[in-house]
Amino acid sequence: MSQMNPAASGRREADRFNKGGRLRVLLRRPEVGAFFVMVVVIVAIAIASNGVALNPLGLKNNLSIIAQFGIIATGACLLMIAGEFDLSIGSMIGFAGMSMAMMLKWGLPFGLGPATPVTAFFLTLAMTLAIGWLIGFTVVRSGLSSFIVTLAFLFFLRGLTEVCFRLINQSTQISGLPDYKQESWFAWIFGGESFGWLYDLWFALGGNLNRAGEQWVTGLDAKVVWWLLIAGAAAVLMARTQAGNWIYATGDNRESARANGVPVDKVRISLFMLTAFCSTVFAACQVFDTNTADAAKGNLKELEAIAIAVVGGTLMTGGFGTVLGVVFGAVTFGLVANAVFFIPAIDGSYYRVFVGVVLLIAVFLNEGVRKRITGGI
Amino acid sequence: MPDSNTSQPIMRVEALTKKFGPFTALNGIDFEVHAGEVHALLGDNGAGKSTLIKILSGVHKPTSGRILIDGREAEFDSPRDASRAGIGTVYQDLALNPLMSVTRNFFMGREISRGPKPFSWLAMDEMARITHDEMVKIGIDISDPSQAVGTMSGGQRQTLAIARAIHFGARVLILDEPTSALGQKQQMEVLKTIQRVRLRGDIAIIFITHNEVHAKLVADRFTFLALGEVIGRGTRADLEGEDIRHLMAGGANISDLQKQLEAVRLSGRAAS
Ligand SMILES: Nc1ncnc2c1ncn2[C@@H]1O[C@H](COP(=O)(O)OP(=O)(O)OP(=O)(O)O)[C@@H](O)[C@H]1O
Ligand SMILES: [Mg+2]
Repeated sequence: MSQMNPAASGRREADRFNKGGRLRVLLRRPEVGAFFVMVVVIVAIAIASNGVALNPLGLKNNLSIIAQFGIIATGACLLMIAGEFDLSIGSMIGFAGMSMAMMLKWGLPFGLGPATPVTAFFLTLAMTLAIGWLIGFTVVRSGLSSFIVTLAFLFFLRGLTEVCFRLINQSTQISGLPDYKQESWFAWIFGGESFGWLYDLWFALGGNLNRAGEQWVTGLDAKVVWWLLIAGAAAVLMARTQAGNWIYATGDNRESARANGVPVDKVRISLFMLTAFCSTVFAACQVFDTNTADAAKGNLKELEAIAIAVVGGTLMTGGFGTVLGVVFGAVTFGLVANAVFFIPAIDGSYYRVFVGVVLLIAVFLNEGVRKRITGGI
Repeated sequence: MPDSNTSQPIMRVEALTKKFGPFTALNGIDFEVHAGEVHALLGDNGAGKSTLIKILSGVHKPTSGRILIDGREAEFDSPRDASRAGIGTVYQDLALNPLMSVTRNFFMGREISRGPKPFSWLAMDEMARITHDEMVKIGIDISDPSQAVGTMSGGQRQTLAIARAIHFGARVLILDEPTSALGQKQQMEVLKTIQRVRLRGDIAIIFITHNEVHAKLVADRFTFLALGEVIGRGTRADLEGEDIRHLMAGGANISDLQKQLEAVRLSGRAAS
């Protein structure tokens, strides 16, 4: 008996765990899969497009769509980590764009006079946040699956957008709004430019030239800044704050989180409001950039947002995922969605084929990562 | 053993009743626990043990009856209230989140953080250190506090849940079937943990189990429930020679059970 006493042999529990080198620790991170997929896609597209995809204009256009994807996928990711889905993201984008453009064209509701970009945005935001709250409240109170509740809002909001357009505007499109971003700094932060200094620097270093030898591209879209801000804030929130711990806990095992005093209902309602916020920012960037709106805007965006979150390593069942992975996923999806413009031989159908393939691969990879981290539960 | 007959109980329950609609889950339960004692709560499946402790831990509200803590009446509107009053519950399902790390589980809902809530900054290093120290105190040296709880053994998970309850000020520690679903060696680990907590002397433990041997090994006092009522109680000394198994089975005689089993066997043979 005494020969078998583990304590006598001087072995401790801590000795059973081999942390491995720095590389091993890196390879255990959940966003590894998304990172490698992204690198492959960047290299492949750079080669296939003869570098056009990464020249000054190509970079600007790619980052524009990457930022759009990134903004909504971040919201979708946090909500998925908390164990819920939001299928109303696309319709919310259409609704918010419609609301802002109609106020700008026809004035504020209830005869409150003409709208400015500031009032149009904040009034719209108040409405979308209220709808986000209502969705969350309905899910939390009814105990129904968020899939079905938000599916209802997908149809409801899209229909409402079209009805409002037809009743007030006669047409389901608005175009030719004044170019607000020229005079209003508020419109500029959504529709204007950013990182002008980077492109100036590029020019100063001898690149970024047009045929006449002048500076070619002046900067990136403003939405890139929104994406970086939202993703950065979300990454810090999840990794380092109490709210982040609550979000993970809510998605992992809601009942045990509740039993430990995590306000799981408040967490979920807040995150439905967050996806509504991201959709509204998405719409504002679009409206103030192009000075147009369309009832069909944002169509299918909810599914792309979910696909990006999954490719980024977020678990469909909740409780696990990282914002950094979603950043990689957004880059991947944005590049491929734009590839049609840089690679003459392909069209938009290739994008959907790619999305289907990558989604499946990502789900298998994620399952493997999750098993490795959790010991197969 | 402290002289518990003269000391005031930490918690006392009087005439507690709980109805779920037309169904009476508990009917007039009286019950008390003392510091430094293990109180075994025994009874058949569906006797009402889990319902009783859910009331004590603020998950359910009683239909009638009262709960006294240190002689003062207490009312719990939420698990948070109960835990503030010093009642720490380790549920049958442990209330742990398998995908989250040991540290994040330990502090789930009660994180140490600085700044305006809920966007306050987590003190991860401090939390990891406390988690490690608290687990060592009751007998487990975890190797990596960032390990996911899903990869821990069943006994380690029990210890984590118990350490957590104690760290957050539990004076009454409720353990719902902590040894079920565990291997022999891990069952012993949990019983040792219970013994260590008992020896601190300031914590009362309510120990629910279906295992007669485990109850006899660590419990100082016993209460037997059947069909929502108390059918027997006593200290270890009182119950010397009593048929504990008889009471645990809800008052049925083991010899009766044997007869019933025999009848089932015979009818099975007749049918084939
Ligand atoms: N929320 C509820 N609604 C209706 N009936 C309930 C509810 N919770 C428990 N019951 C009933 O109350 C009775 C007691 O259940 P309880 O879970 O307390 O039993 P238990 O003694 O813990 O059993 P076990 O040993 O199997 O864990 C059971 O008949 C159960 O069906
Ligand atoms: Mg039970």
